[in-house]
Amino acid sequence: MHINPLDISTPATELNFSGKNVLIVDDYMEMRSILRDILSSCGAEVKKIHMATNGNEAIGWLKKVRFDIVLCDLILGSGKNGQQVLEEAKHQSLVGPSCLWIMITAEKTMEAVTGAAEYQPDAYLLKPVTEASLRSRLVKIWTKKEAFAEIHKAMKQQDYSRAMSLCDQRLAADKAHAADLLRTKCDLLLVSGEYDRAKKVLEEILAERDLPWAKAALAKILLKKNDLDAAKNLLEETAEANPAYLEAQDLLAHTLQVMGDLEGAGNVLERAVKLSPNSVTRQRNLGHVSMKLGKLEDAERAFRKSVSLGENSVLRTADAYLGLAKACSANKNSEQALKVLGQLNKSFATDDVRVKALAVEGMIHHQSGNAGKAKQIADELCQSIGNDGIQPDSDGALEIARLLMAAGGDKERAIKLLQNEIKNNPESAALLRDVAEIFEQAGMGEEGSKLIETSRQEAMLIMNRGVLLISKGQYEEALSAMRDAYAAMPANIRVLLNLAYVIITYMQKNGSTPELIEEARNSLRAANELSPGEPRFIRLTASLNELIALK
Amino acid sequence: MIGISNKKQTNTTNTPVVFNMANFLVSSVHDMKNSVSMLICGLDKVLTSVEAAELSTHAELVQMNHEAKRINNRLIQLLTLYKLGQKIYPFDPQSVCLDDFLRTTVAQYAQLLKFRQIHLEVWVDPGLYWYFDEDLISGVIGNALNNAMRHTRDHILISAEEHDGQLMLRVEDDGDGYPPELLEGNGNVMQSVDFHGGNTGLGLYFSAMVARMHRNQGAQGDLCLENGGSLQGACFVLHLP
Repeated sequence: MHINPLDISTPATELNFSGKNVLIVDDYMEMRSILRDILSSCGAEVKKIHMATNGNEAIGWLKKVRFDIVLCDLILGSGKNGQQVLEEAKHQSLVGPSCLWIMITAEKTMEAVTGAAEYQPDAYLLKPVTEASLRSRLVKIWTKKEAFAEIHKAMKQQDYSRAMSLCDQRLAADKAHAADLLRTKCDLLLVSGEYDRAKKVLEEILAERDLPWAKAALAKILLKKNDLDAAKNLLEETAEANPAYLEAQDLLAHTLQVMGDLEGAGNVLERAVKLSPNSVTRQRNLGHVSMKLGKLEDAERAFRKSVSLGENSVLRTADAYLGLAKACSANKNSEQALKVLGQLNKSFATDDVRVKALAVEGMIHHQSGNAGKAKQIADELCQSIGNDGIQPDSDGALEIARLLMAAGGDKERAIKLLQNEIKNNPESAALLRDVAEIFEQAGMGEEGSKLIETSRQEAMLIMNRGVLLISKGQYEEALSAMRDAYAAMPANIRVLLNLAYVIITYMQKNGSTPELIEEARNSLRAANELSPGEPRFIRLTASLNELIALK
Repeated sequence: MIGISNKKQTNTTNTPVVFNMANFLVSSVHDMKNSVSMLICGLDKVLTSVEAAELSTHAELVQMNHEAKRINNRLIQLLTLYKLGQKIYPFDPQSVCLDDFLRTTVAQYAQLLKFRQIHLEVWVDPGLYWYFDEDLISGVIGNALNNAMRHTRDHILISAEEHDGQLMLRVEDDGDGYPPELLEGNGNVMQSVDFHGGNTGLGLYFSAMVARMHRNQGAQGDLCLENGGSLQGACFVLHLP
């Protein structure tokens, strides 16, 4: 091995700041002026440096100017924090992929470890920020952005095979980014459903070094293959050896939930929340699990935390508000529960949310002994889904069924709703458990489990009929079978994907028409809305595009 | 539960009770760290200005800046050890380019080295990458460099190379070497901490702890102290798997 003396008197690379706009976000005046001075001695033009003292001012600047560099303190006094500013900026596309975002923190945080999420900054920089530390960080991020520019572009266009071959090309020559390139390549193999290839690459990586992200990725493959026990073991081992790698803990909690081990999932989430309490999503998940475990106070606390964390965040969901309202009601505080629903209706104004909130409101009245009001809401809901044609989403349908069963509403209608949900999700163990619970609470446990079994079997049979017919070469019959299946189960992801598959195969055999292309496209779009980014969706979209290009 | 009932009992005798001293200590360390950060930034700013070298107090300012950085490093070590004890440290090994890493780490000391007329050599293979927690190892190397600066005559050598499948980081000086007591406890730096001597031992304890946290494929990092080496002084040797 050869080893060279390092010339430490000059920086490794010169920075080129010409024409670059910079934003500094910090609530302390001294810090802002220190950062400005450091930037200017790095070469930034002082008149292109802008400053904001809080989150709202920062968003104001981001809307006005296209920034190349943002230095943002994580803690910004009251209002939005640095992370929430970043989330909003990315969500509203106020910053492009070439913008370099550095989060400045007093000390290393748990959030800095994951490093893969959508709303992550390019780097965290610890105080005190010095010219040397900022300079080296800027150089590092710039070269990384350059290395990944083409790859990210291909990924954005969902051209995963091109992205993958770009990764391979770079891997052959670029040692500096080898670790990140390999990780990206594995992500790409996973999203395009090439599990066996992904597994092979991951095992090669793990033979050299114990990397927690690679183990988590292997566990994801095991989950996809429904090998829950193996996934659980691998994740437990990974979480134990790398307690700061919270992605493993979240994935473990998810696995345990799928396995029906709520207690285990709750313990894992509670541990993760202690390490990193500021995740809107994790707190919400903890709320749901605690609620199902009957730990009502814990559930209320977790939902409340999720709601308050989400207040300034684009990641807030109606789900956390509904969970909080239900938890308050279960804790015998119906007044508080109704107040939460009021806030919810102010923040989210879609039909889906309105219907769900109304069903939950009915249940709150039912639980507080106001039977008349509960019945009135139940009837109102029956009316809107019956006559006004409002289609509740999956959670909404369950909430409505729960209310109809409890408040003496139209039981037939409730059963019909539940049957539909089973047929749309016959492979989701969690949903089937929820449906069983609703029957149980209505004192119809036995009848319910029979109904679940027959609906499930019926659905499985219809779902695959078209694919079976295609494999026998009966193209016309396959197409009409899948169309029937779609009419019966319009929100079943397998049906939607199978319908698209059958149409595409039919067109490959018999030629395409604009109508069939449109039908396949709609089916794919609906599938992607139900569960975004499924590997099968990606493959089918690629085949459809190929077919159109051939035409 | 037991803690609460105890507290009630002692309160009846009207003795004030310090209820969770650890929390006060931790939040004070945070607070001090923020102030020291501002101090360092301020001094850096003064020292980088053109006129700084002309000031009659230039020597004192350089020394003050160095002391402020030492305090900052100590506070970081304390906070890190606390978090490690509580199992809440966000340990995060990443692939690091040793060339960049050493360049950035020693840049913080460039001014003082120049001022004290100490010659620092850094030897590293430009294509060398290794997995470690950059913040922790930067603290360890900074601490070793600080020690070397106190004991060297005028020459320090830092090197990084792959050795028997591990990364070997060495900080060597041309001073009198480590006292025999420190070398005796070798292999267990944690036991050789001498709270009565001038050095609190925190730095070595921290370094040994950090070395051991680094694990891969069943192997664990370690810290060795030796005398001799290419400069015939103290050698601080860190192995990372």
